[in-house]
Amino acid sequence: MKKQILILLIVSVFLTGCWNRRELNELAITMAIGIDKVDDEYLVSAQVVVPSEVSMNAGKGAAPVTLIQEKGKTVYEAIRKMTKSSPRKIYPGHLRTLIVGESLAEEGIGDALDLISRDWEVRSDFYVAVAKDSTAIEILNVQTTLEIIPANRIFNTLKVSEENWAATVGVTLDELMVDLLSDGKEAVLTGIMVTGNKEIGSSKENVATITPSAIIKFDDLAVFKDDKLVGYLTEDESRAYNDIIDHVKSTVGTVSCPEGGTIDIEVLSNKSKLKGKIKNGRPEVDINVQIEGNIGAIECSLNINKPDSIKTLEKLYEKEVENTINHSITSVQEKYETDIFGFGNAIHRSNPKEWKTLKKQWDEHFAKMTANVKVDVKILKTGTVNNSITEKWKD
Amino acid sequence: MGFFYKKKKEQLKSTTPPQSQTKESNDKQTLKTKLQDNIKIVKDTLGNSSDIIIREIQIGKGGVLKAGIMYTDGLSDTNSIQDFILESLMLDIKDAELKVELTPNPKIIEMIKDFAMTTGEIKEVTKFDQLFLSLLSGDVIFLIDGYSEGLIIGNSRWVERGVTESTTQTVIRGPREAFSENIRINTALIRRKIKDPQLWMETKIIGKRTRTNVAVMYIKGIANDKVVKEVHFRLDRIDIDGILESGYIEELIQDAPRSMFPTVYNSERPDVVAAAILEGRVAILIDGTPFVLTVPALFVQFFQSSEDYYQRSQITSLVRILRFFSFGIALLAPALFIAATTFHHEMLPTSLLISLAAQREGVPFPAFIEALIMEITFEILREASLRMPRAIGSAMSIVGAFVVGTAAVEAGLISAAMVIVVSLTAIANFVSPTYDMSMSVRMLRFIFMGLAASFGLFGVTVGLIALVLHLCSLRSFGIPYMYPLAPFNISAQKDTIIRLSIWKMFTRPDLISQQNIDKQQNPTAAKPVPPKPTE
Repeated sequence: MKKQILILLIVSVFLTGCWNRRELNELAITMAIGIDKVDDEYLVSAQVVVPSEVSMNAGKGAAPVTLIQEKGKTVYEAIRKMTKSSPRKIYPGHLRTLIVGESLAEEGIGDALDLISRDWEVRSDFYVAVAKDSTAIEILNVQTTLEIIPANRIFNTLKVSEENWAATVGVTLDELMVDLLSDGKEAVLTGIMVTGNKEIGSSKENVATITPSAIIKFDDLAVFKDDKLVGYLTEDESRAYNDIIDHVKSTVGTVSCPEGGTIDIEVLSNKSKLKGKIKNGRPEVDINVQIEGNIGAIECSLNINKPDSIKTLEKLYEKEVENTINHSITSVQEKYETDIFGFGNAIHRSNPKEWKTLKKQWDEHFAKMTANVKVDVKILKTGTVNNSITEKWKD
Repeated sequence: MGFFYKKKKEQLKSTTPPQSQTKESNDKQTLKTKLQDNIKIVKDTLGNSSDIIIREIQIGKGGVLKAGIMYTDGLSDTNSIQDFILESLMLDIKDAELKVELTPNPKIIEMIKDFAMTTGEIKEVTKFDQLFLSLLSGDVIFLIDGYSEGLIIGNSRWVERGVTESTTQTVIRGPREAFSENIRINTALIRRKIKDPQLWMETKIIGKRTRTNVAVMYIKGIANDKVVKEVHFRLDRIDIDGILESGYIEELIQDAPRSMFPTVYNSERPDVVAAAILEGRVAILIDGTPFVLTVPALFVQFFQSSEDYYQRSQITSLVRILRFFSFGIALLAPALFIAATTFHHEMLPTSLLISLAAQREGVPFPAFIEALIMEITFEILREASLRMPRAIGSAMSIVGAFVVGTAAVEAGLISAAMVIVVSLTAIANFVSPTYDMSMSVRMLRFIFMGLAASFGLFGVTVGLIALVLHLCSLRSFGIPYMYPLAPFNISAQKDTIIRLSIWKMFTRPDLISQQNIDKQQNPTAAKPVPPKPTE
C-alpha cells in the first residue's frame, strides 16, 4: 500500500509539467532597453539579440540585433505589448544597458524605473544612461564593431572608460535607486550620444567602413534633481565629481609647468575621504584626496633629475586638482543647487541630530556650504627616461 | 503489485520440496559392501554419462582383490592416474599377499592408503554424496570389493586459463597478474602475497547442483569477528541451485538489495584483495570466476585504485580529487546543463547564453529530449561495443563518433553544446576506477536529468539531498557506507579523499577492523630520514 502511494506521489509530481520552463530559442534575449516619452505615452524599445547572427558560423548577414518598439501608458504595458510584433517574449535577465531619453529624463525617471527595478527577472547590475540631445531609440539604432551587439559595446565601453578615465562614471540601476531614494545625495547618470549620420548608423554599412558613420559615445555626466534632469557637467566637473565620491581607479592628469608646457601624470591610486561637520552652526565638509602616480610624459623643460623639482611638480598637481574640485563644487552649487556629491550623507553620518533639521531645506544649505579641499600628491616613478627628449635641441 | 509476488512465491513453495527430497535420499546412502553394487549405483545416478570412466582392476598377488577406479574424464589428470595410482596398485604391490594377510583386517583401506598410494591428497569416503562431489570435482575414487569404504584421491586437473593480466582494473605501475577461474590458483595468489599464519581460509560449498566451492579468507585477529560471523551467516543462508559467478553471491549477501549502489566490492586483482584483507576486510572467493568479493565495502573505496598506493602520494591525492570531481560531472553535468538552459538563464554569463542560444537556433527538440536522445544513443553505442565481436569495433566507433558527433550537429538535430556535455559526461564516467560505481552513476544520471527538466535546480537539489540521505542510510556488513565521511573520522581522512604518505598511515581504518589497528608499531621511526652529513 505504502509503495503504491509513493509511486502515485512520484508520478503526480511529474504531471505538474515544467511550469516555467523556457527553451533558449523561446527567449528574446534583450540586451538593452530604451525608454522615451512621446505624447504622454512611454515609447519602449528593446534591443534583442538575433542569436543565429551572433554565433561563430554566423549566417545570412542580417543585423545582429533587432529593435522592437511599442508604445504604452506604462512601461510594463509597452513591454508586454511587444509580443504583438515579436514571436518571442522579452527576456530582460541579461539586460546590459538602460537608456533613458532626454525628454523623459527632464520629466522625471522615477515612474519609468519602477517596473525595471521591481521585476524579479531583471538583474540590477546594468548601466543606466541618459541619451543626450537625442532619444533612446536613436542610441539603440546604431550598429557597432568590435562588439557586434551594440548593448555590449555600450556596457563594455563604459566599464573600461570608468576604470581608466576619471571623467566617466558608470551608474548601475541599484546605485541609481540608492541615489534617488537618499536625502543626502542626488543622482548622476552618464550621458550617451550618437555622433555622425544616424541613418547610416543603423545599417550594415556603418560597420563596413574603417571610420563608422555613426558612433555611440559617452559624454559628460547628467545631473539630476530628485528624478529630473537639470543639466550636464563639463569634463572637468565630471572629473571632480569622481574625485570627491572616490570613484577614480586610474586616469591621466595634466599639470602646467611654470615655464610653459605640460607634464602628464599617470594616476595609479586616487583615494578620497569625505567628512562632514557642523561649524558655527553651518554644515561643512572636508575633502581629502590622496593621489599616487608616475610621470607619464614631459612636454616642458622641468629637470626631473633634481629631487626638488619632483616636489614642485607634486605641489603643482595638488594645486591643479584642488582648483578643479573647488571650481566644480561652486559651479554645481550655483548652477543646479543639487547635492550630487553626497555632502548631505556626510553630514548625516557625522551629525545625525543636526541632519534631521538640515535635510528639510538641504538644497539651500548645500548651495551655501563650504568645502575644505586638501589634496596630497605623491610622484613615485619617472618612467624609463629622464628629462624630456626635446630638451636637447633647446639648449 | 505485491499480490503477484505473493502468488509466485506460493507456487514456488509448492513445487520445490519433492525434488530435493528424492535427491537427498539417494545422496545420503552409505557405500555398499559389494563393488558391483556401488558401481551400479554410480552408473544409475549419473545416467551412464560417457565422461565417467570406471575401471575395474584386480590387485594383490594373483589378483585376489577386486577393486574399482572411477574418475571423470577431462577433470582428472589421466597421466597421474596412470603413473601414481594404476601403476602403484597394479605393479608395485602385485606380489603383496593381500588376501591372506589383509582380508580379515578391516584396515585394508588404510594399508593401501598408507603404503600403495603415491599421491598427496587422500581422504576416506563412506557416503555417496561425498563420493559424487569428489568424482565430479575431478578426484579419483578408489573402491575395493567387500568394503563399504573407499578412497578419494585428489587428482583434479582442469585445463587452466592461467594467470593472465588484469583487464578490468589496469594499472600503469603495479603487479600485472589477475585472478583466474580456479579457486585454488586464486587462494594461492593471495597466500603468495600474505604469508601470515593468521591468514585463515574457510571453505563452503554453495549451490545445490553446481556445488561451487566458496572460500572465505581473512586475517584472524585483524578482521572484525562480527563481520566474519555475519559473512558466514549470510553465506550459509544461501539456498540456490547454482552459483556461476561472484555476482550471484554478491546479490544474495548484499545489505541493500534495492539500492543502486554496490555494497560489496569486487576485484580481479590479487593485490587489491590482499590489501583489503590486510585492512581487516573479508574476502570471498568463488570457484569459476576471477572476481573476488571483499566486504565491508565503503563508498570511498570505489574511488580508490590499487595504483594510488604505488604512486607518489601527492599525485594520488590530486587524482583522487579528480575522481570525485568527475563523479560529480558524470552524475550532474547533463542535469545542470538542462536546468541552466531551460530554467535559470540568468545564471549563465551573457556571452555564454548568447552562444548557447545561437547553437539552439533551429534545434527541434527541447533541451531535455535533446539530452535524452544523446545519452541513450551513447548508452546504445556503449552497450553494443561491449558485446560485439572485436573485429567490428573500429567500424562501430567510426559510425558512433560520426553519427553522435558530427552528423547530428550538422543536421541541426542536436546542438553542439549538448554533444560536448554528453561526451564530457561519458568520459568522466570512465574515470571511476571501479565499474560498479560507474554503473550506478549511469542510472542516476537519468533520474537527475528528469528532475532538472521538470523542476530545474530545485529538482536537482532535492535529488541530491535524497541521494545523500540514501547513501548515509546504507550499511555494508554493519559498517556505515559513507564512513569515514559520515560518520566523520579525522584520522581516517589520511586515506580518503587525499592520501598521505605511507609512513603517515600507521593505523588501519578503525571501523573496519575494530581491533589491532596499528599498522606500524613505531610511527615516529617510519618516516624515511636521510643520514646526516658527517664532518
